[in-house]
Amino acid sequence: MMAVRQINLSVIGSSVTPKAMNDSAEHQQLSQWLISVAEQRDKLAFSELFKFFAPKILRIAKTKIGSEAQASEVVQETMSNVWRKAHLFDAQKGAATTWVYTVMRNVTFDLLRKVKSNREDTLSDDIWPIAEQSAADDELFEDHLASNNIMSVIETLPENQQQVIKGFYFMEMSQEQLANHLGLPLGTIKSRLRLALAKLKAQLGADHD
Amino acid sequence: MIKHHPTFEMLKAYVTGDLPASLAAGVSIHADKCDECRKQIALLTEQIAEVSFEPEHDPLHFGNVSDETMSVDFEQMLDNICSDDSITLTKPTEAKTITLRDTPYQLPRAMQHMEISSSANIGKLSRARVMLDEGEIHTSLLHIEPGGGVPMHTHNGFELTVLVEGSFTDEMGEYFPGDFIMLDGQHVHHPVSEQGCLCYTVANAPQKFTQGINKLLNPIGNFIY
Ligand SMILES: [Zn+2]
Repeated sequence: MMAVRQINLSVIGSSVTPKAMNDSAEHQQLSQWLISVAEQRDKLAFSELFKFFAPKILRIAKTKIGSEAQASEVVQETMSNVWRKAHLFDAQKGAATTWVYTVMRNVTFDLLRKVKSNREDTLSDDIWPIAEQSAADDELFEDHLASNNIMSVIETLPENQQQVIKGFYFMEMSQEQLANHLGLPLGTIKSRLRLALAKLKAQLGADHD
Repeated sequence: MIKHHPTFEMLKAYVTGDLPASLAAGVSIHADKCDECRKQIALLTEQIAEVSFEPEHDPLHFGNVSDETMSVDFEQMLDNICSDDSITLTKPTEAKTITLRDTPYQLPRAMQHMEISSSANIGKLSRARVMLDEGEIHTSLLHIEPGGGVPMHTHNGFELTVLVEGSFTDEMGEYFPGDFIMLDGQHVHHPVSEQGCLCYTVANAPQKFTQGINKLLNPIGNFIY
């Protein structure tokens, strides 16, 4: 018993702490690349992400699936989803590695299901909602939005933030739809929404605590 | 109050995508209603992702590709992906509903794209099969009319019940929406629902009825399974 405990402690003591520091720089870099892809369709940033993730995904998929051709399909599909869905990544809610992992997990699941059960259904995005990491805080906040008369608070925001908040919450437009609708880059919509939400949270917190 | 949760091993297999769709959806339905497990899942996902993408696990760096990966043309793949500039828009879809014996239910999110057969009734039970094609693993939605129940039985294999709406009780207590109840041959029970309920059930063998009138009840076993 004692020996086991000592081994565990020594593992934690020796490797985890210093590694965590390297990791945090790497995490920031990966997140930054993902954000550049989302906001500017930055191909250079994407090729960096591709270099980092593609060989790892290939190795993981090969272990899981066995077939080289299908593993390569997982890489293609996962990285293509990263390219096309980067706007769904939220750096404040988790690491880029976590997000890419969930994309890969979902692609692999649907592919294996196709092979094993011969079903063409795409269930993974229902079983593991892409926004899952964010669930907790936002739900609380949405309750506030729904249950309180907050129009008066919203009207204290600058006009351009009001537009985004109203479109997003009351007209249920996606951030992309808003960007098209207002003729603005997605990044601008995101940052306005973030600013507006921060202000609203502060205001509502003060009013309802 | 939810009292029954998936085991740690099951949450882990859920995160890595190693559960069959039926069980993964069961965990998902539970987690939608359980803050605790949702947090646990978020944490596990973060940790497993971190380990999976650790550089030291990865001797094959891009540009220095070993024989193993030679057959995959990464450059070509990268060009293909970037040549399409469109992005994937996620549209909020309207939640689907199912009506069992005149009771309308909203389908859990995990089931939005699952094919569900029309329902069949026996007594106060109503069952709709979820067509997942997972061999011996059968998945159903089971509606119990108020005052109905399933006769005393045990399990030849495993039986997962996730309570979606309403409540029921058995020898082990009362269950509430979100409860994740995994039973096997060690358990004998007789669920009854006073107010009626909807359960998501997954089983890999027919239920075995333990009281004297086996022959009469066996069809129900096959009905539920
Ligand atoms: Zn739970």
